[in-house]
Amino acid sequence: MADEDEGNEYRWETGYEKTWEAIKEDDDGLLEASVAEIIQRAKRKRQAERKPNTRLGMMRHLYIILDCSDAMSDQDLKPTRQLCTAKLLEGFIEEYFDQNPISQMGIIVTRNKRAELVCELAGNVRKHVDIVKQIAQGPCSGEPSLQNSLELALSSLRLLPGHASREVLIIMGSLTTCDPHDINVTIQKLKAEGVRCSVIGLAAEVRVCRQLSKETGGLYSIILDDCHFRDLLLQQVEPPPAARTQDCSLVRMGFPHHSKIGNDPADASGAPNNNAMSFCMCHLDVEGKMDASKLGVAGHLCPQCGSKYCELPVECRACGLTLVSAPHLARSYHHLFPVDNFLEMDAKENMKHNCFGCRRKFVEIDKHVYKCGACSHIFCLDCDIFVHDTLHSCPGCTSSCKNVK
Amino acid sequence: MAEEVETSLMVIVVDLHTRQRYLRQQPSQLVHVLDSIMTLANMHLMLKTKNKVAIVACNAARSDFIYCDSDAIQPQPIQGQSGNTVQKQSDGQYEVFAHLETMVKQNTRKFTLDEKSTFFDDRDGESLIAGALTLAMCYINRINREKPTGEKLNSRLLIVTGCAGGASQHMAYMNVFFTAQKQNIVLDVCSLDYELGLLQQGCDITGGLFLKIPQLQGLLQYLLWVFLPEPPIRKKLVLPPPARVDYRAACFCHRNLIDIGFVCSICLSIFCKFSPICTTCNTVFKPPTSLVPKKKKKPNKGVC
Repeated sequence: MADEDEGNEYRWETGYEKTWEAIKEDDDGLLEASVAEIIQRAKRKRQAERKPNTRLGMMRHLYIILDCSDAMSDQDLKPTRQLCTAKLLEGFIEEYFDQNPISQMGIIVTRNKRAELVCELAGNVRKHVDIVKQIAQGPCSGEPSLQNSLELALSSLRLLPGHASREVLIIMGSLTTCDPHDINVTIQKLKAEGVRCSVIGLAAEVRVCRQLSKETGGLYSIILDDCHFRDLLLQQVEPPPAARTQDCSLVRMGFPHHSKIGNDPADASGAPNNNAMSFCMCHLDVEGKMDASKLGVAGHLCPQCGSKYCELPVECRACGLTLVSAPHLARSYHHLFPVDNFLEMDAKENMKHNCFGCRRKFVEIDKHVYKCGACSHIFCLDCDIFVHDTLHSCPGCTSSCKNVK
Repeated sequence: MAEEVETSLMVIVVDLHTRQRYLRQQPSQLVHVLDSIMTLANMHLMLKTKNKVAIVACNAARSDFIYCDSDAIQPQPIQGQSGNTVQKQSDGQYEVFAHLETMVKQNTRKFTLDEKSTFFDDRDGESLIAGALTLAMCYINRINREKPTGEKLNSRLLIVTGCAGGASQHMAYMNVFFTAQKQNIVLDVCSLDYELGLLQQGCDITGGLFLKIPQLQGLLQYLLWVFLPEPPIRKKLVLPPPARVDYRAACFCHRNLIDIGFVCSICLSIFCKFSPICTTCNTVFKPPTSLVPKKKKKPNKGVC
């Protein structure tokens, strides 16, 4: 096992670090400025790690494998590991669908040496959040089975078309797994199918998990506390680089319009009669609720077969066409055209008094200011982070005519 | 029990593009439009003492703040700092209003003159409303960050424009819309001339109002009746019905609106016809396979 973790040694194996020396007193003997700088650096670190211009797997199909074994009822995360995980997952699911609007997600739970599919791959935020809430109420018992759950995920991911990005995210509380066969075979199978497996461990590092994520190109990380756990989950929100095995293809999609739009008789473009009352297709099979599918005129009509849906994106049940709306696609464009990282500048060289974005006056504590390479405007740290993390377009570039594409 | 303090920040984006129809017909109309906007701003400030206003101007060359908190009256005027000192009350008018008026006029003059001197050649381009919106978002973000704990800040954006189009800034617009939606910022649009499809989408996404006013003379009334009330109050008012937004996509190749199209799996570009190479990300695609593949045919495992 000599090849293990080359170049990535553990913290306790590295040289002796004098961490306290990073903090220096300023002229007045205060630590404030030094501490502020450390915080700033940590904030920017995440940005710097992002690599632009990689091909991304935008149509993600992610299975979350959630450990529901005995180990999850531990109380090292408050109130318990299970409840904490469920709470964080809810946030993750919302963020995931916000950032990856035409992606899908499924949930697998493993307990008592078995794996159970609790939610098929689907794109409905509310349904997923409800399921996670249910899981949080459910029992935690027995041992988890990594292999069984991976096989289950694989059986479903295998059937997806070549252009889909296949991923598995395992949240593992237990340090053991109970498997029927050799798990290395499963890992090789996953690798062959191009499934990217990432593992978040709640306890300590486990070799088989490291092996799994290393072989399949995923990430393996162990949480430090609940905040770190949240950060690790949010790391998974960004679409990963496209796997080499992934095909590229043009996917046929439909862009339905509101059925209300065709009210004027002059617009006869829509195939079906737009004013007809109809049931929506998404709520037809909800059992026990007769009124679940409401009769009405509002909704989105499939341009191919005319079935009606109340929510997008969805795959048409009648003709199999993927139905999306234009803003759904636009929502993910920023992953492909990210804002280049700003250059860090010493505040002393800076001649401007105000941040270009938020008009804040620069003060003593701002050790660094940030310059956009394209438009040469100066920004403060908060704007820098806001622009890169949330807004995804540079205020300077968009507000001067030279740089607008 | 301490009552929760709610403040409301309104950021108004004013289009000062010289190619707007009303300006070409009668340039003096600009005074009318600016007066109406300043009245709206003052009315907003009047509703609550804690309310805030910022105004961003844009044209084809650039966009910039013409009124923001660094222009506002400082609580304790520092001596020697020109422009920001409290003016003496005149005519019994609230000082803040008079101050806003002078600052807006002064900065508007500066803004338009600056544009003429630096960018003379590209004055026919599109107005940079998206840029103004991104500036506004950064500004809102800061005000939100700096607010005292326990206070609640409701922010909203209002665009007043007489320009058409906006396709070239599509990405920036979309980024602003989604950020606004995430942060519960309402985007209102008051169009002076055109039905603007893209901004209508933005209003629909963020839950704001789109209004194309029938005549410019009544601008102030429309602003006060439709855009002054806070979004929660609007439910109780009889306002113009929401626009019917067309969410169909425009293909990247011909800019046609399409019902069924092809989407690149790598970059999500939209095409109306199958093409072997994606023009956005240069990916080479596999030829389309029929829905029911023939069994005897070997799957093509060559280089895709």
